[in-house]
Amino acid sequence: MRTEERQRTPVFVRKVRRFWWLDTVPFRRFVLRELTSVFVAVYSVILLLFLLALSRGREAYEGFLRWLDLPGIVVLHVVILAAVLYHTVTSIQLASQIQEVRLGGKVLPRTFLAAGLAAGWVVASAVVAYLHVWR
Amino acid sequence: MAKSTRPARAEPFFWLLFTAGGGVSAFLFPAHIVILGIAWAAGWLPDDALSYDRIVGLVQNPLTKLYLFVLVVLPLFHAAHRIRYGIRHELRVEENKHVVASACYGAAFVGTALTASILLRI
Amino acid sequence: MPEGTVALKVARYRPERAPTPYFDDFEIPYRDDMVVLDALNYIKDDVDGSLTYRWSCRMGVCGSCGMMVNGEPRLTCAVFLRDFRPGPVVVEPLRYFPVIRDLVVDISQFLEKLKLVKPWILRDEEKPVSEGEYLQTPEEVEAYKQFSMCINCMLCYAACPVFGLDDDFIGPAAIALAHRYNLDSRDQGRAERRAIIGVEWGAWDCTFVGECSVACPKHVDPAVAIQRTKLDLATAALKSVLWPFGGSR
Repeated sequence: MRTEERQRTPVFVRKVRRFWWLDTVPFRRFVLRELTSVFVAVYSVILLLFLLALSRGREAYEGFLRWLDLPGIVVLHVVILAAVLYHTVTSIQLASQIQEVRLGGKVLPRTFLAAGLAAGWVVASAVVAYLHVWR
Repeated sequence: MAKSTRPARAEPFFWLLFTAGGGVSAFLFPAHIVILGIAWAAGWLPDDALSYDRIVGLVQNPLTKLYLFVLVVLPLFHAAHRIRYGIRHELRVEENKHVVASACYGAAFVGTALTASILLRI
Repeated sequence: MPEGTVALKVARYRPERAPTPYFDDFEIPYRDDMVVLDALNYIKDDVDGSLTYRWSCRMGVCGSCGMMVNGEPRLTCAVFLRDFRPGPVVVEPLRYFPVIRDLVVDISQFLEKLKLVKPWILRDEEKPVSEGEYLQTPEEVEAYKQFSMCINCMLCYAACPVFGLDDDFIGPAAIALAHRYNLDSRDQGRAERRAIIGVEWGAWDCTFVGECSVACPKHVDPAVAIQRTKLDLATAALKSVLWPFGGSR
């Protein structure tokens, strides 16, 4: 193994802009995708509050239902839904890139898995709705 | 390179929780949000759909409790992981990265404990 | 026949003259089939012989001529000037790397990282020559072929914001190449590479921005290689906890 004295010429290190993600559309879309996680956390907390109210008895629970009736809270849920749907769409996109699907030795195009996952999402939503509302 | 060559022992597990939480929230949250957060207020649900007696009956089933535990807890770890990296890469808070990570996952653990204790009380 | 002219704005860094980089403007004769590299060669031959840059094959296989063209990491031998006329076409050194001179960046750290992941066939025991070659079916070659197309051009590093924030990050190409060897049926070094890439500044720093795969001129898709590597690392970690007996391969 050769060891040599590396002559250090002066190199110029360029600074990276603080909010680098403002620079391109793909970067901004990436940040939007990551931001959905905040809304996911908020909804987990709302679910937790729902369960807390349930655990405290009838009065507390019905108070929570009245809170859900407030127009501002409905708007909040619409905003959360928009963010979570973007999370769903991007998750399906990413998963269809990572996971290869083989049929008869050939790798299927990514859109197959994406469509399958989308169909799975529809089915899961229908099952949740059925169990939550009508069962 | 003066960086540590120790394998990151905890990272694989937080990444798995992040991935699982992403799947749970992506596939199951939209339905729950629409039902509880929009359809109820809009009057689209049958009158007794969210009645106390009915919901308590549903939730007391241990399978439902398991489902709800997963539904609430895994997305918390998903968010904790993304927020941890968002603080570092997007907000550019690059100091104390282990403190930030511990705070994020710590909050998720607190949420886990709360969820478990609440579900056990129902 | 030259068909008019095209303008270029080329980054210069000449520490013996000025302590910081600056831009030089050039207006050169234009032909419809010119790529950015042709323009740089014209400048060096006919306008300013001091312009310093790397290039070699001029056909997209050597990986030498990676630079920022209008803010995007490109191989200058593959970017046609006709897409940017009248210009000015802005040419800068590859982003996130230290600049040595003009358009030449310091790639020594990348080469260190490449060596670190052992991008060669690792065997527990070498087959003796008398036993003949290692045989592979076409399917076994398909399994890793895509990731073997890497030409080490480092456009993926210039596209990766995580690398831009922390140059300790081992980076897309290094992980993609480790993945290529892990997938090779002749290789037995997966466990060894796991220990190397499973560090904090290895695969885990990646947040799947995905721009590395967009920038890659050879369609290696390093982003996917990294996520599959994370999955492999995670399942190995799970297995070692749930089933701590026996080695892993």
